[in-house]
Amino acid sequence: MTAAVEPWAGPQVPPATPWWPATRALAWRSLVGLARNPAAWVPGLAFPLFFAAVNTAALDRSTGLPGFPEVDSFLTFLLPATLLQGVMLSATTAGNDVAIDLQDGFFDRLLASPIPRVALLLGRLAGAAVYSAILAVLFTTVLVAFGASVAAGPAGLAVIVLTAGLFGTGVGAFSMAVGFRTGSVERVNAFFPIFFTFVFLSSAFFPPQLAGGWFEVVARVNPFSWMINGLRHQVIVGWEWAGAVLAVGVAGCIAALMVGLAAMALRARLRR
Amino acid sequence: MASIPIEAEGLERHFGAVRAVNGVDLAVQQGEIFGLLGPNGAGKSTVVRMLTTLLTPTGGTARVAGFDVVRQAPLVRRAIGVALQDAAIDPLMTGRELLHLQSVLHGIGARQARQRRDELLERVGLTAAAGRRVGTYSGGMRRRLDLALSLIHEPTVLFLDEPTTGLDPTSRLALWEEVRRLNDHGTTILLTTQYLEEADALAGRIAIVDQGVIVREGRPGALKAEVGSPTLRLEVEDGQEETAARVLSRFGEARLGGEGGVAIGLAGGAGQLAEVIRALDGEQVRVLHVELDEPSLDDVFAEATGRRLEGATDGPTTPPRSAAGDGPAGSNHDGVNQLGDGREGDGHEGDGPDDGDRHHGHGRGGRRRR
Repeated sequence: MTAAVEPWAGPQVPPATPWWPATRALAWRSLVGLARNPAAWVPGLAFPLFFAAVNTAALDRSTGLPGFPEVDSFLTFLLPATLLQGVMLSATTAGNDVAIDLQDGFFDRLLASPIPRVALLLGRLAGAAVYSAILAVLFTTVLVAFGASVAAGPAGLAVIVLTAGLFGTGVGAFSMAVGFRTGSVERVNAFFPIFFTFVFLSSAFFPPQLAGGWFEVVARVNPFSWMINGLRHQVIVGWEWAGAVLAVGVAGCIAALMVGLAAMALRARLRR
Repeated sequence: MASIPIEAEGLERHFGAVRAVNGVDLAVQQGEIFGLLGPNGAGKSTVVRMLTTLLTPTGGTARVAGFDVVRQAPLVRRAIGVALQDAAIDPLMTGRELLHLQSVLHGIGARQARQRRDELLERVGLTAAAGRRVGTYSGGMRRRLDLALSLIHEPTVLFLDEPTTGLDPTSRLALWEEVRRLNDHGTTILLTTQYLEEADALAGRIAIVDQGVIVREGRPGALKAEVGSPTLRLEVEDGQEETAARVLSRFGEARLGGEGGVAIGLAGGAGQLAEVIRALDGEQVRVLHVELDEPSLDDVFAEATGRRLEGATDGPTTPPRSAAGDGPAGSNHDGVNQLGDGREGDGHEGDGPDDGDRHHGHGRGGRRRR
């Protein structure tokens, strides 16, 4: 049962694992898990496209209203909103997965491994960012196939993809913060509509100047509107640096803020 | 640098007013299998979580692999392997993928990782299932994969938290074999268990934990010896009971023997069994069945705490050790074969406490639960 006791040679410690391979491996796990769990990605694909179809059918004639941006199809106007919806629905998976890892103990396995703690955060976020970027390409392709257009061409698409990646990082980080704090899938999902609120109170679905009233006021000061307007300029008008910087900048700020929040939540979790 | 792989002094962990661990001292030597035995909620897992850096101690100190678990936690993590209570395995990934992930997390190079992965899959008998998602694995397969994952970096110190909880007897036996093999190769192992027989079968030394403190510590045999002498039960031919009782009285005081049997507390221990049989033979007493019940770890637990270990099992998988003068040994040496006969479960529910130390003669009984 017990081996003969020999003098112990002392600890033989392998070198620490660098953060990058660990992050890459965890991002890969995140993407593989997502791909193998249709319940996690089907809603993020299907619902935004469904809403885009319904809204276009209902509001296509509103494109003729005075003051409405000049577009051939309401789909073109709706492209940024559809994209953000998809990203929001999908990137929340990061928080759900964190909560599941905490619940089933996989997170302990990660904690017990000699990886830099930052990889626990960055791995999942990288997965969310990559998937959001893939969604951006996918949605743009589908909407263009149904009559939308991207006036800025490949450069505009690059801005769309970059913005989606950063926004996905922000949404993913927020959901991870809730996941780290609560360890509960239900609570992650309960907090998730916060982002939708910001989107609905923005210029995503209708030009605020045509809506008027309090909605116009709220939508104009809502940073989500700035991001959407920046994207919309690339889609409807054509390449413009200011619009690109605005879209990427706002998405980047959201990402930075939420990653900070997630890092604090992770730190709190590790102190328990 | 510490001189022993696992040591703790006055280790405490409080959760609010609850003192889950309340001053645990441990010293696990190099190459040892050390068992923490106790009921659910005794504090075993909390001790393991502190030693593996997953939980910060409220008080006391601990060093693992020579490093302080609080101040040098990253160094501890690099030296240890951990398989926690619930086989925490991502059901969406395959066994091979998880081993790959684990090897990356431990900074193992690609070629070495591949070699190590294949070797471990082979060792735990999962080569054929390596490409399947873990969600399709049985509990035993998950546990074996969990163990393989904890070994990917060849740790010198291994923590196994209730490694066989929930396993069927065959899987339990297989895992025991693997634990022994690891230990034979020099790995120091600390395992927690609520199964009496598991502690008895695997651990060179055990600590019985109850309500956050260690109530007894030592070698299983020594702990049991402290409790008292083993009970020898005999079945003899009709009409020979009185003669048998008279002979037996020379070796110890009479105990409750059951219907048609005689029993004594064998004062000289199991080593006296051959002498007893010879004495009976000398009086022409024909012995039909011999059974030797050693004092159990449950007796040790009961003596230390005043309670029995609830839900404990005699763990049907250990091949019975035949008593001296036994009948054909082969008949009872196949713990595995006995599992399929419906007499043994996995000990999860409704099992009375048992000792796992029954020795049966004449190959007729097989292992039983009390």
